[in-house]
Amino acid sequence: MPPDNGVAPDEGEILSVRGLTVSYGEAKVLFDINLGVKPGQVVACVGRNGAGKTTLLKSIVGFLKPLSGSVTSGRTPLVGMPSYDIARMGIKYVPQDKKVFSDLTVRENLELGSYATKDYDWDRVTGYFPKLKQLMDRKGGYLSGGERQMLMIGRALLGSPKVLLIDEPTEGLAPSIVAHLKNVFGELSKSTALVIVEQNLPLVCAIAARVYALKEGHMVAELADRESIRPEVCERYL
Amino acid sequence: MVKALRWWWGILLAFSLTGASALFLPLPFLNEVVIFSIYTIGCSFLLGRVGFISFGQPAYLAAGAYGTAFYLFYFGANPYAGILVGVLAGLGLSVIVGPLFVRLRSDYFALVNLALAVIVYYLMQKVLADITKGDNGLWFLTNIASTPVLDISRPNQFFIFALLAAVAVWAFYKYLDDSIYGACCLATKTNEDKLKFLGYSNYNVRLLAFIIANTTTALAGAMYAVYLGFVSPEITSPARVADPVVVTVLGGTGTLYGPLIGALAYTGMKDVISKLIGNWELFIGFLLVFIMLAGERGIWGTLQPRLEKLLFRNHAMTAADERGEARR
Repeated sequence: MPPDNGVAPDEGEILSVRGLTVSYGEAKVLFDINLGVKPGQVVACVGRNGAGKTTLLKSIVGFLKPLSGSVTSGRTPLVGMPSYDIARMGIKYVPQDKKVFSDLTVRENLELGSYATKDYDWDRVTGYFPKLKQLMDRKGGYLSGGERQMLMIGRALLGSPKVLLIDEPTEGLAPSIVAHLKNVFGELSKSTALVIVEQNLPLVCAIAARVYALKEGHMVAELADRESIRPEVCERYL
Repeated sequence: MVKALRWWWGILLAFSLTGASALFLPLPFLNEVVIFSIYTIGCSFLLGRVGFISFGQPAYLAAGAYGTAFYLFYFGANPYAGILVGVLAGLGLSVIVGPLFVRLRSDYFALVNLALAVIVYYLMQKVLADITKGDNGLWFLTNIASTPVLDISRPNQFFIFALLAAVAVWAFYKYLDDSIYGACCLATKTNEDKLKFLGYSNYNVRLLAFIIANTTTALAGAMYAVYLGFVSPEITSPARVADPVVVTVLGGTGTLYGPLIGALAYTGMKDVISKLIGNWELFIGFLLVFIMLAGERGIWGTLQPRLEKLLFRNHAMTAADERGEARR
């Protein structure tokens, strides 16, 4: 199915968004957004609160239906596909709210991820997040914010996703955990493409190969070279 | 072996105690408790695990009861076959209405199930009166044939069958609770969006839960039919729709043993208080309000953590004593 705006996805892209327009009822919140992610690439979306970053991620994973435009993974159109099928294709979303299944233990939370993907290689997950090993029998409701974030990312990693979309991963976390996550994202990007929505500009600039800036639902900048991906440059678009 | 025993011991203990209580409690009371607990466990699973409150359980109970009754009244005499027909009738009804009902949110789900119970009631009482015999009901106690090994046409042997059936049902629900599917059910209750992002269809999780729960309810209906040898539309009366929900909450919503404790408490209260007071239903109503206000976790939900604490403290003390012995 060709994209609505006639712009074809790039050949090498694992995830392509073209001409995406999204509304909540009558109110349009995203206007003609284009975004591309290549395998193993770290892409960041920056913008102020209400710029439409979370809406963009939710539209990609099928949680919101766009008014127009296309989202494709390879040759597969994702618009209209249920969220769970998109997740099964290896496009995983880690929401912003850091809510895990509070009645389930860490082990059960991971088992849910494993059963859906048939990937029981927890060593890889605990390799990234060793602390989870000690928390296996603790219920999700009794984890700290950082521990919950580790669990959510770890659970999403099961099944070796092609693309991981992570919404505000460092929001409200201690600097030591932010530093740990930064290292993890660096390691992860060797095998998985990452789309990170983040307001922590030093972190974004340290790990991203491409940065998209959103303002009031419009894509106002696309930074793709190391020279321009600097906090002071990104700041201009916020 | 030890692991298997640890898995089974709670269920075996619960139903061994129920069986042993036949020494001092009347058999009809115990039969009613066991069947009522099977009736309630489906409702408890739906409410506690999936977050669905259903006021339509009498419809599925009636499907099981009338399935069995039709078989034993019109076609055959084997009570086991009758129970199988009843269970299949409940399964059929769940498979037909489930895909429509589980799309609804919890409050509308409760109402649509209530509507189904009313529809089934009027179907059995009026529309299908030619074959259901309306309010007179279907009497087939004398049609039920004796069966080899466990003759469930006799109340005392029926009690053994009911206990075995309950053990099987409880083992199945414990297996569900411990399984990934049980975790999926809890997850769909607490955060359905997150479950989608992991690759699960909430609809499929809920539909399976709905079918399992209501087929279990139909099993209880089929057992009622064989035990009483009689079925009337009263089984799906709109006045009785809250019973399984009340027993679920009374016992402890979503707990494994809540339905058994709730059924025992509810049937016991009903039997004892009705002998002492004329307007016993009013009294039970007030008593239930008090119990729910006093502890919203229900009887088993309140007792369980205390028992665990007691058991684990004893276990810890024993372990400490053993360590002390070893040092000496």
